[in-house]
Amino acid sequence: MADTEIVESYSQNFESWINDFSEWQTRIGFDPSWLGDYRFDIKFDWDTAGNEIEFGDFQGMPKWNRRMQIPQQNIMDAIITMVSVQGDTEFASVEQQNHLLASAPTEYDRKSALRIMCEEQRHGWQMAYLLCTFFGEQGVREASKLLERNAQEGTRILGSFNEPIDHWLDFFCFTHFIDRDGKYQLKMLSTSSFKPLAASMGPMLKEESFHLGTGANGLRRIVKQGVIPIALLQKYINKWVSTGLDLFGTDDSTSAQWAYVYGIKGRYDERESDIEADREHLNEASRELYFEELRKEMVRISKSRKEGEPELYIPSDRFKRGIGKYAGQSYTVHGDLFEGSDSEYEEYLSSVLPTDEDEDRLVNEYMKKEWIQYREWKG
Amino acid sequence: MQFHSLTVFDKEKCAHFFEHLTEYFHEHHHSENQDPETYENLLYTVRRPYTPDMLDEIDDWMGIPRRKWREETQREVMLSLYAIRYPDTLLIESLTEKAKSDIKRLSAYLHFTHHTYSIWDEDTRKGLEKLGIMIPPVEHADPFIYGAYVSAIELLKDVAPFTCFLEHDVPRQRLFQSALAAYGRDA
Repeated sequence: MADTEIVESYSQNFESWINDFSEWQTRIGFDPSWLGDYRFDIKFDWDTAGNEIEFGDFQGMPKWNRRMQIPQQNIMDAIITMVSVQGDTEFASVEQQNHLLASAPTEYDRKSALRIMCEEQRHGWQMAYLLCTFFGEQGVREASKLLERNAQEGTRILGSFNEPIDHWLDFFCFTHFIDRDGKYQLKMLSTSSFKPLAASMGPMLKEESFHLGTGANGLRRIVKQGVIPIALLQKYINKWVSTGLDLFGTDDSTSAQWAYVYGIKGRYDERESDIEADREHLNEASRELYFEELRKEMVRISKSRKEGEPELYIPSDRFKRGIGKYAGQSYTVHGDLFEGSDSEYEEYLSSVLPTDEDEDRLVNEYMKKEWIQYREWKG
Repeated sequence: MQFHSLTVFDKEKCAHFFEHLTEYFHEHHHSENQDPETYENLLYTVRRPYTPDMLDEIDDWMGIPRRKWREETQREVMLSLYAIRYPDTLLIESLTEKAKSDIKRLSAYLHFTHHTYSIWDEDTRKGLEKLGIMIPPVEHADPFIYGAYVSAIELLKDVAPFTCFLEHDVPRQRLFQSALAAYGRDA
């Protein structure tokens, strides 16, 4: 049961951060008037957060409500890092996407994207609140950095959040593939031993489901419309899947293992799973669940294609990886080791990933037509 | 009525429903008689300017006989579909008796033209009743009773945990209304 608490008054640290936030909005070109009556509330779902630490070496002890209850400095540092990375992605996505509002294919899409951007800002706002309220000077410094790094300058912490999102196809891929990773991260933090972090996740996850739905439905509407060829669409899927898989971090990750030991970040299915966690392969386990979910979703999306069109698929998890055991190796989209020279592999990549010519055709030819199924905004 | 339904809300009674909400949703929405494919098409095809054909398609999906209304009644309802703003239901009061005579039909028109209004369904009403939210059974569209029904579903959306929220191409009102219908039928 989710009884959401909305925080009514803020600390001085957070009040000054809010001033910086307003400047950040102006700097990135997000007009605050676009928010309408939307408010950046700080929301906590304390009931769902639980009272006892659920896994790791502190299992069974009360969850930590304040900084002073956290038993070790390194645990506090790890929590600050997690909150900072989460907050960083929230603001980054707004920097990546806000220019798209001017070119939305329909009013429904414009309003959906705007809602997503409002909610991403609220999520970032919530993470900054945690930093400023619970982690003293160190937290205040990290909260400031959330507004200093910038996606357009390539200084955001995670690779996917520095990638340009040039058009609406990238937007739908981003919300489908990358926001889906976000859902995994939020769910893994929803069982955290640091209770204010765990309690922040419920309301954020509720909002995140709309973001994922926008991505999946957007891709489905494109497939249904049948203007953008499936083969071209497949290239964009190939582009975004590998970056989504990389977001889960390295294989055999010791930091994931420590986060589990400290109880600050669990498995995606922590509460549902009845088997012991394989602490040495936590990232791999979450990534596999994500990968499986992508495959199922793509079957649904692909069902809408016109007769005679090939089926869309999720490329192999070996393809074009930047992190993990397949990083930097030459694999095909089907997971076979590429046999050929580096230049031949480059040529192969241009057949399975979007090229400049593809981008040009997409934007200047297909997107000039009715390229996505119309949907009316119904308020 | 709305005030009454909100003050008697018992969160403990909802725990089981929330825990199984996604299963209940699938049981109802994806059943053969709910024809989810046509439902999802209607989300797209019913759009401004509204036409009598669109209302026919809604009647067909609902499995109710097509309306036999005079031209003025139809025009009056169509105009109200343009004018109404969620969560208002009082506009229904101004409709003529014929238009108000069937709450299922009228709520379906509201649902497909606005998405935020829920379809009236007896099983859904029973589902709310099992959660301690008492909405009287009616056949004609009473704006206060329908208003209480709509706001009760809205309230459930607000208090439900994140595990209830599917990334599905149906409005959240439909997600909750469908789940309630299956729950209401569940002995």
